[in-house]
Amino acid sequence: MIFLGIDIGSLSCDAVLIDENKNILSSSVIPTGVKNIESIAKVKKNVLDAAGVMEKDILSIVSTGYGRNRVKERDRAVTEITCHAKGIKHMIPDTRILIDIGGQDSKAMLLDPDGNVVDFAMNDKCAAGTGRFLEAMARALEVDINQLGDLDKGATSDLVLSSMCTVFAESEVVSLIASGTEQKEIAKGLNRAIAARTNSLVKRIAKNTRDLAVSMSGGVARNRGVVKAIAESMNLERVNTPKLPDIVGALGAAIIGLEKRR
Amino acid sequence: MMYEHFDNTVKGIKDKLSQDPSGINARKKYVLELSRLGRKLYTKNETIAWCGVTAPFDLLSSMGVTSCFVEFVGAMLASTQTAGFFFEDAEDAGFATDSCAYHRAVMGAVLKNAMPEPDFIIGTSSPCTAGLAVMENFANQYKKDFFILNVPQNYSKDAIRFLSNQIEELTHFVSAHTKEPLSKEKLGMALENFNQSSKLLRDIYDLAKTKPSPVDNRLLRDFGVVMTLLMGTREGIDICQAFKDELNQRIKTSRHHASKEKTRLMWIQNRIQYPFPMDKMLDDLGAKIVIDELNTVTWEPMDPDNPFESIAKRMISIPFSMDTSKRIKNMQTLALDYQIDGAINPCHWGCRQGTGARGLVSKGMRDIDIPVLNLEIDCVDSRNLARGQIETRVEAFMEMLS
Ligand code: SF4
Repeated sequence: MIFLGIDIGSLSCDAVLIDENKNILSSSVIPTGVKNIESIAKVKKNVLDAAGVMEKDILSIVSTGYGRNRVKERDRAVTEITCHAKGIKHMIPDTRILIDIGGQDSKAMLLDPDGNVVDFAMNDKCAAGTGRFLEAMARALEVDINQLGDLDKGATSDLVLSSMCTVFAESEVVSLIASGTEQKEIAKGLNRAIAARTNSLVKRIAKNTRDLAVSMSGGVARNRGVVKAIAESMNLERVNTPKLPDIVGALGAAIIGLEKRR
Repeated sequence: MMYEHFDNTVKGIKDKLSQDPSGINARKKYVLELSRLGRKLYTKNETIAWCGVTAPFDLLSSMGVTSCFVEFVGAMLASTQTAGFFFEDAEDAGFATDSCAYHRAVMGAVLKNAMPEPDFIIGTSSPCTAGLAVMENFANQYKKDFFILNVPQNYSKDAIRFLSNQIEELTHFVSAHTKEPLSKEKLGMALENFNQSSKLLRDIYDLAKTKPSPVDNRLLRDFGVVMTLLMGTREGIDICQAFKDELNQRIKTSRHHASKEKTRLMWIQNRIQYPFPMDKMLDDLGAKIVIDELNTVTWEPMDPDNPFESIAKRMISIPFSMDTSKRIKNMQTLALDYQIDGAINPCHWGCRQGTGARGLVSKGMRDIDIPVLNLEIDCVDSRNLARGQIETRVEAFMEMLS
């Protein structure tokens, strides 16, 4: 028995195949691009090929993410909030606060000990501090987005970017470069700004986070600098990240499919 | 443009009424009367007063004045999808893009001379002073006299006297413009009508509490605020009676879609005014708005022999006039009375009541174990709509509640 979860985000399209014991058989993460129907077909083919199974073997398909209703063959569509909670419960069971920074929005979720969402908050009005924001900043710093995570190593100043508007922040970065500020200091300043914003999102759902295990999912969780800055800003020793943070939503979707079948 | 809109609506409903008088439901009757009022506002030779939301419309109608709150026009422009045109004018004139869009739409309409010219203007400091600034601009533009009613935020003897004196003064202001003295008899009749309508409103709201509730997501939307425009009239009583009868009939015939009431909700403040399928979305998710925050009767029957004090008491008692903690108390009472599972707070952009009180409202509801979804949506300016995010928030909230 095989269950498929597909997460169609604004930046990436992710799929996970699991068996009836919730073991991950295969997973795939590809850019969503402008033609998301094609991306859905491609990511599905990727996981089927990688697991060596046929489409007819799939017992249930659950879609999630902003494009969840674009998956025609879905058995059900579930929001990314519920799916990320479900996925992280499987990957890091003691998680009570989950931060998911995706391509164009960020979310904070408060989970009960069983992993159910009891409250959540999302970024309002703009996409500041999300994956798209980081892409723009990487461009301004003239580095690859994957290099951004370690760029702040050895930074010592307490610089914080004053603007979180993507356009203004980009020009702030450009003028900092022009004034000779080192790349690592700027990267640290960026991370601090994102962390402050994330922390305020978390505070909306939980005033006191001291005894709650905090985890992070979504592509930005691969950025070590941001994760560390969030931990510092929340006065935590660490923020947990799963091995494959991009597939948490798709995994949760697949698990929901399995549980509904039962 | 707006005259045609109201006129077409009146004609359309009257046509249907003449073909099948029993085929007109309560909501249609309500829309018919509001459209008649709208048409009057855009008709020459009427004495027109543009007002703030909590103005005493019953008193004004007893003095022969056709009156309405300006935000009603903002909502109409949004619902007819013509507001965008006016926002741009207001913004070009320097009106802040993140101010309340009810006011921005009205300001644009004022600048474009698309608002019917009033004879005078009556501002109210409740529910928000932002409205007063718009009214002042409005008065300047048309060179009209401007009267302000300062509504105190606390229910005390002094506060009631303070407002009651202003209301009496208002009658002199109106008389000076209409050249007609106040008729105690007509005012008494208007208050009697308001009392009867209020009694029926209480019955309507009691019926809405039934489990499953006979209301649907549309039936009583923004009802409490808008009905005050009509409650001092015979037509107001008829509309309330029609709603009461319809709810009773729904209960009797089990037309209340019990299966669609997996989740009972409260909607805080005003609804979304432009076409956005929130009602359908909630329907599809099995959720039902059983109570809107402002659908409540918080005042005692008024004494026609003591009209100014009675109106003052009524105005101050409206939760929107009070400080946030009293407003939250009212929400908590409603939440328990209506046995809701959750509440949706649109947190309308630029609104002191909506966005300003967001955290306090969430906390107040959490204190009684009611989760709140903060939408952070602009209820009037659809240019600010992030549709996908709103859908995700609503669906995730329902998933969470279930
Ligand atoms: S929505 Fe808020 S700011 Fe706008 S008129 Fe109403 S109370 Fe005032």
